[in-house]
Amino acid sequence: MAEKKATTKKTETKKDTKKVAPVKDDVKKQAPAPAAKPKAAAAPAQVGSTIKQEPRIGVFVCHCGTNIAGSMDIPAVQEYASTLPGVEYVDNYQYMCSTPGQSKIDKAIHDHKLTGIVVAACSPRLHEPTFRTATKEGGLNPFRFEMANIREQNSWVHMHDREGSTDKAKDAVRIAVAKAKLLQDLYPKTVPVEKSAMVVGAGVAGMQAALDLAAAGIKTYLVEADTSIGGRMSQLDKTFPTLDCSQCILTPKMVDVGRDQNIELYTWSEIEAVEGYIGNFDVTIRKKARGVLTPKEAAARGIVGGGCNGCGDCDAVCPVVKPNDFEVGMKPRKAIYINHPQVVPLIYTIDFNSCIKCGLCVTACGSEKRAIDLESKDEFIKVKVGTAILATGYDIFPIEKKEEWGYKKYENVITSLEFERLICASGPTGGHLVRPSDGQTPKKVAFVLCAGSRDNTGTGKPYCSRFCCMYSLKHAHQIIEKIPGCVPYLFYMDIRSFGKMYEEFYYRIQDEGAKFIRGRVANILEDPKTKNLHVHADDTLLDRPIDLDVDLVVLAAAIQPKADTNRTRKLFGVSCSMDGWLLEAHPKLNPCGTTTAGVFLAGVCQAPKDIPDTVASAEGAASAASIPIHKGEVELEPYFASCIEERCAGCGMCVNLCPYSALSLVEKEGRKVMQVTEAKCKGCGTCGGFCPGGAIWMNHFTTPQIVAQIDAFLLGGEQ
Amino acid sequence: MSESKHKFAFYLGCIAPNRYPGVESASIKAMKKLGVELVPLKGASCCPAPGAFGSIDLNVFYAMAARNIVLAEQMKMDIALVCNGCYKSIWEVNHKLKHNKDLRDNVNEVLKEVDMEYKGTINVYHTAELLYNDKFIGVDKVRDSVTNPLTGARIAVHYGCHLVKPHKDREFEQEAMLNTEHPTWMEELVAALGATPVEYRNKMQCCGAGGGVRGYDIVHALDIANEKLINLKEVQVDALTDICPFCQLQFDRGQIEIKEKFGVSYDLPVLHFAELLGLAQGMSPQDLGLDLHGISCEPFLQKVL
Amino acid sequence: MARSKGYPEALEKKLHDQRYFADESNPAFTKDVKTISRTIPQMCYQCGTCTGSCPSAPRSTYRIRKFMRRAVLGLENESLTDPDLWLCTTCYSCSDRCPRDILPTDTIMAMRNLAFKKDIVPVNFLKTVQAIYSSGHGVPNNDVNRAAREKIGLTRDPPTTHMYPEYIPAIRKILDHYKLKANADRIVKEREG
Repeated sequence: MAEKKATTKKTETKKDTKKVAPVKDDVKKQAPAPAAKPKAAAAPAQVGSTIKQEPRIGVFVCHCGTNIAGSMDIPAVQEYASTLPGVEYVDNYQYMCSTPGQSKIDKAIHDHKLTGIVVAACSPRLHEPTFRTATKEGGLNPFRFEMANIREQNSWVHMHDREGSTDKAKDAVRIAVAKAKLLQDLYPKTVPVEKSAMVVGAGVAGMQAALDLAAAGIKTYLVEADTSIGGRMSQLDKTFPTLDCSQCILTPKMVDVGRDQNIELYTWSEIEAVEGYIGNFDVTIRKKARGVLTPKEAAARGIVGGGCNGCGDCDAVCPVVKPNDFEVGMKPRKAIYINHPQVVPLIYTIDFNSCIKCGLCVTACGSEKRAIDLESKDEFIKVKVGTAILATGYDIFPIEKKEEWGYKKYENVITSLEFERLICASGPTGGHLVRPSDGQTPKKVAFVLCAGSRDNTGTGKPYCSRFCCMYSLKHAHQIIEKIPGCVPYLFYMDIRSFGKMYEEFYYRIQDEGAKFIRGRVANILEDPKTKNLHVHADDTLLDRPIDLDVDLVVLAAAIQPKADTNRTRKLFGVSCSMDGWLLEAHPKLNPCGTTTAGVFLAGVCQAPKDIPDTVASAEGAASAASIPIHKGEVELEPYFASCIEERCAGCGMCVNLCPYSALSLVEKEGRKVMQVTEAKCKGCGTCGGFCPGGAIWMNHFTTPQIVAQIDAFLLGGEQ
Repeated sequence: MSESKHKFAFYLGCIAPNRYPGVESASIKAMKKLGVELVPLKGASCCPAPGAFGSIDLNVFYAMAARNIVLAEQMKMDIALVCNGCYKSIWEVNHKLKHNKDLRDNVNEVLKEVDMEYKGTINVYHTAELLYNDKFIGVDKVRDSVTNPLTGARIAVHYGCHLVKPHKDREFEQEAMLNTEHPTWMEELVAALGATPVEYRNKMQCCGAGGGVRGYDIVHALDIANEKLINLKEVQVDALTDICPFCQLQFDRGQIEIKEKFGVSYDLPVLHFAELLGLAQGMSPQDLGLDLHGISCEPFLQKVL
Repeated sequence: MARSKGYPEALEKKLHDQRYFADESNPAFTKDVKTISRTIPQMCYQCGTCTGSCPSAPRSTYRIRKFMRRAVLGLENESLTDPDLWLCTTCYSCSDRCPRDILPTDTIMAMRNLAFKKDIVPVNFLKTVQAIYSSGHGVPNNDVNRAAREKIGLTRDPPTTHMYPEYIPAIRKILDHYKLKANADRIVKEREG
């Protein structure tokens, strides 16, 4: 140890740190009075006051009930902390985040004239803001606080190693104290918030969020990848448990969205680029070439009274036939098409991947409307918004991957979404449920629940898709209602009817005659002659294997994040969980927020939700997204980089490295130096880590602070 | 063919050499024509039978299989074999020992007593896999080697279990071989011989013989085989082909037992794919010892010769 | 394992307590099955995909799902004494499809291993051991086959332990290391005299 210590002391870094400002000695001199002044362009060389003050650190160890105390020796950690140089005061409490716990910090700052606070507790992601507030209450600058994580990274993972976790907690406290001794006063920057918002995805979640924001007086840009709004819900026939028709309740909302003065709708569009930060996002929207002009666009081109009025004359003459995705491929559409007659906006779109540019539609459209432009190109529109909501929704898991059920191999095995279209009055069969193989009405229908959900094999999804039980109950009801004598068999593991009036709905469907078989379907075999299907399972309640001969099988396929979700989330800097759903800031206490300030989540893109939960989450997201806009300004964490100009060689390498375009080179006193746009800087440290001259100072993560932490760890506290 | 492109230690197992020797001779000759030399694996024993040995003591199962693998390691050759059961023992134990140090150490402790050490230096292949994989042979070469196409013969495939299941633990290079619900790769090979592959109900069902059940409860085992025979009868095939001598025994000798015990007869010829391949490459039924089969292959042979 | 009521034998049998009592559960059994099988039987959620896939289930009382349940609950005696334990053909269809990624087949194999430790084992399994001990082969060669082999140009005996019996002692050593032959002989003798 002694040898190591000697070596470290000899290192260049160490010497350097002593020589150049800002150095530890300087930092030690700082007064509790403001050091780094807000908006001060001054280099950190000037940071610190001349009043000498030795660091006086208070350390507080949290039990977190038994979360921490159950796995380690708290008194030992506290005792150890008291021996660390610079530590003036130590204490512990059952719940440091509670009022009594926070008061301890407040009181100790006053009683012991502390200059820095360390709380050894949970993750800073959870309670750093809490303890900063407590530090501030005690009269210190809130950034004089450092957290030692002894829960998520310690007690929870070393539950059965009391000695080891106690030692690790001591290390964590020692490291935190080393940094706390060097902490400086910092002042958050306040920036104004643009009074507009963006919603990505116009399914029921995005529509609801946009309507709420618009109703709160906020200009809202609603961006939808498809040609019309409505999303998955517009594909559904009826909705559980009330059985109201999906179209009947959704269409009025679609119309509202279409005519709301505060909503600017972009369909057939996607997000191209996002720059900026909360309050000031610069978003580029790619308006994909549609080939058809809206009346407004036509007017802009001087075509008075022109543009698409949805008459469908083009559709009638188009010679290209393609499967209609909205009807899950069960109905044809043309190369120029609308998804269905009730679309909003009622504007046709040309599928340029299949259009042969024969020009028949142009002729049919006529010289008055002149709505069709076969040469139209993608357009890019830049908008500025204060906050954004992602509502990108879901896709159906490609259930043919579970080969045992024969989807796409056996004609009469369909998915629930196909069932929705087949049973829907406006669907491809006019609402008549038929077998795809022969158009016959089925008399026995098997429903395979958990098709690809609750599946840990890697082919499938480990989570519960959360609405399949309920819509399958609804499907059973619809069969019984529409086809006299037809029996639905539901193969299930558990019926998860947890929502309001859901269990009652289950009761009703059972009473109507649906047969429930508790067993997951093992495999399905087709009778090649009749195209009937043999469903093999174990009736686990009867304890007998089953071979059930049915006419039609409906797979309640798992759902997964929409294909484009990953690209979109990266643009907004939002994380996702292991299963691909977008990650909320906190699963319970901040389900609509994300770790990127100003970006929120609505609906299924966060996790599977039924319609009531989706709408609730959308309203929550809209409310959360409107708060910064109504406040008018937001505070930014003062973690930005700054340039120590005398050390900067003006090489400009950092400028190219910065992922946030926050850096630039400016001319100062006849030479080039780097300058930081603080509002854009996220404090990621890329520039600071790279700068060959050590000229970049990362506030709150300064080189001396980090070196002190490393030293504290490697050298056991003897620095 | 002067020199073979690939050489493998030929692991025979029990039933192929001791009941259906045609599988052994056909494999050696047919593979030779396809550029693969099968070199005798001297001193090999039973794999050991995964059902019988695995049921009693898995540690013995691992050690016994490891001994066979080490014999090939000593020859510095990968193993090729002709039986699904042997594949389960030899491939799976090799795979387990390669990936689990605790198992490897246990096995080597025992092998030390017989002056052997498992090192994990070779791979194990089923000949069907070699035939299907372009890297070794591939369907096209198989087709090109045919001199006596089995034209007009309707042949159904019995894949068996232990080569392909459980697919999540298998590591075949060809995606097609990982499909255990509706595979067609063997049908491709059958078609390459000029025959017509025929699909039938519940093709992937087990023959019923494995896991010691054939010895433990013969009528239970035969009833499973009989279910497949019923399904095969529905589609009127001339022969059933397999890639596992134990499955072959169950369907071939089993038909005699089924007739005896259940009073139903099918007279369905059952041939290992190696035997079919031999026929298609011009070997005579005598060269293949087809007269040793329990069910006469004559009607099938008349159709294809 | 049920409680005795102290009734006369016939009534005791008719009225025996069917309930499951906590003391029937042996947690060590759950653990042993997990260790030997090298799979995760404790993750079973009883969906029945296994039994629905099982070729033995439709023609017997064998229910792989029930054995999985017993593994979870540690019902050792019930598992090991059930003659259905030996009806698994090891086709691995259940393992192929299990949504919880368990290998139920290997769970059965582990239970059979544990049964063998208590001398619970069908004789046919032991006879395979005896055959391999004497010849190296579970299905040894015979004279009809030898003649046939010769006729088709093969050696009378295959180039295995049959042709090279000098390899047999090593096999015996391995089997003796686990006392497998001795145990097999003893159990066969007890059963068949």
